[in-house]
Amino acid sequence: MSIVEIKNLKKEYPLFLLDNASFNLEAGRITGFAGRNGAGKTTTIKSMLNLIHRDSGEITCFGMPLNGHEAEIKRRIGYSTGTVSWYPRKKLKDIVAVTRSFYPNWDESAYGKYLKQFQLDESKTPLELSEGMKVKFNLLLALSHRAELLILDEPTSGLDPFSRDELLDIFMTLRDDGVAVFFSTHIISDLEKCADDIVYISGGRIKAAMTIHDFCSAHSLQNESLEQTILRLEKEKTV
Amino acid sequence: MKSILKKELTLSASILSYLFILFGFMFFIPGYPILCGVFFVTLGIFQSFQNAREANDIVFSALLPVAKKDVVKGKYLFSCFIELCSILLMVIAALIRMTVLEDVVVYRNNAMMNANFFALGIALFLFGLFNLIFIGGFFKTAYKFGKPFVTHIIVTFVMIGIGEALHHIPGLEAVNAFGFAHFGLQFGLLALGAMAYIVLTVISYRCACRNFERIDL
Repeated sequence: MSIVEIKNLKKEYPLFLLDNASFNLEAGRITGFAGRNGAGKTTTIKSMLNLIHRDSGEITCFGMPLNGHEAEIKRRIGYSTGTVSWYPRKKLKDIVAVTRSFYPNWDESAYGKYLKQFQLDESKTPLELSEGMKVKFNLLLALSHRAELLILDEPTSGLDPFSRDELLDIFMTLRDDGVAVFFSTHIISDLEKCADDIVYISGGRIKAAMTIHDFCSAHSLQNESLEQTILRLEKEKTV
Repeated sequence: MKSILKKELTLSASILSYLFILFGFMFFIPGYPILCGVFFVTLGIFQSFQNAREANDIVFSALLPVAKKDVVKGKYLFSCFIELCSILLMVIAALIRMTVLEDVVVYRNNAMMNANFFALGIALFLFGLFNLIFIGGFFKTAYKFGKPFVTHIIVTFVMIGIGEALHHIPGLEAVNAFGFAHFGLQFGLLALGAMAYIVLTVISYRCACRNFERIDL
């Protein structure tokens, strides 16, 4: 059974339309959300988190509609966005202390493990962190409360190749533990390395939502990589 | 509710919000419009809203496992906490002036408003107006607070002016009562102020929840 079901999600801005987006996410699978800048990835993700008011459509998580079960659903979700920094002048440990109090399922051992792995210094403030370290701090918060679903908006942007590789390895470990990972990216090689499924969005429309294997079978030319396929499709706009 | 208030108090708040609570003691100052203390307390709360905006606090809060309306509730709980702390100081100052300092010349010869139950009622009413105009106005966008704050300044100082002028109008001298004189009237005005505070805050909170639900973060 899908842990997230999105049906006919619609959001209209003066110059952009997210048009009837529909796709599902499964437990224990990594889904890459691919598309160029401005394609609608962040709008979709923000709708999934109820950060923006959708015009129509249904979002169901863990069998519950998002409307009316927001707090319960968010407790089971971990979210991280690129390099946005929260409370730039507060110490990381103070931000963590408050965040922790919202999650009855907070996992102190996971927190300690990722804190060490990401080499974050709790006594620093977000202002003192590099862009890559800010991403890692956001991820630390997302990974420390035993989330069943991780929604990550451009988690690898700003990370050095070693940290990116390390992060993709973490995704794969989490997948093996049954966690669903949904991450947006325009770095297609990240998908090739670890994703099971792909949701491909272009011009506000979901053009494909399937396994990477099926996507390549349907759209790739012979000896063409996933990145080359998506680049070609973007140029042709014919998916 | 406890967690969201803790977040407001520890992460979102500006230190000035806490320091400016002390302006409640302006109720001790003779020959000065004591209700300006209310304005300075709201200025402290305003600093926290400014702090919060710079720190992406609203989005951070909306991502926490709480309903969107709880983000609004957090801001109201924090503001009411600061307001009621300063009211407590004003009550202490007013009670001291109404009892041990009742006959002190400098207070007796005071042309400005006296610190009594009526002044406390007006202070509560002004805090209610702040909650309605500023906090309610802020949650129309969860971003812009210039216009709501300027509106709040204008309304507050007009109301302070009216409050200060009332006891000079023939027949309304009793609002400036000393000690426990005109207790029934004074207490009634305090109760009215408290009621206005509750009603204005609840109306503002409900509108803010409705508006915040509609906006995109």
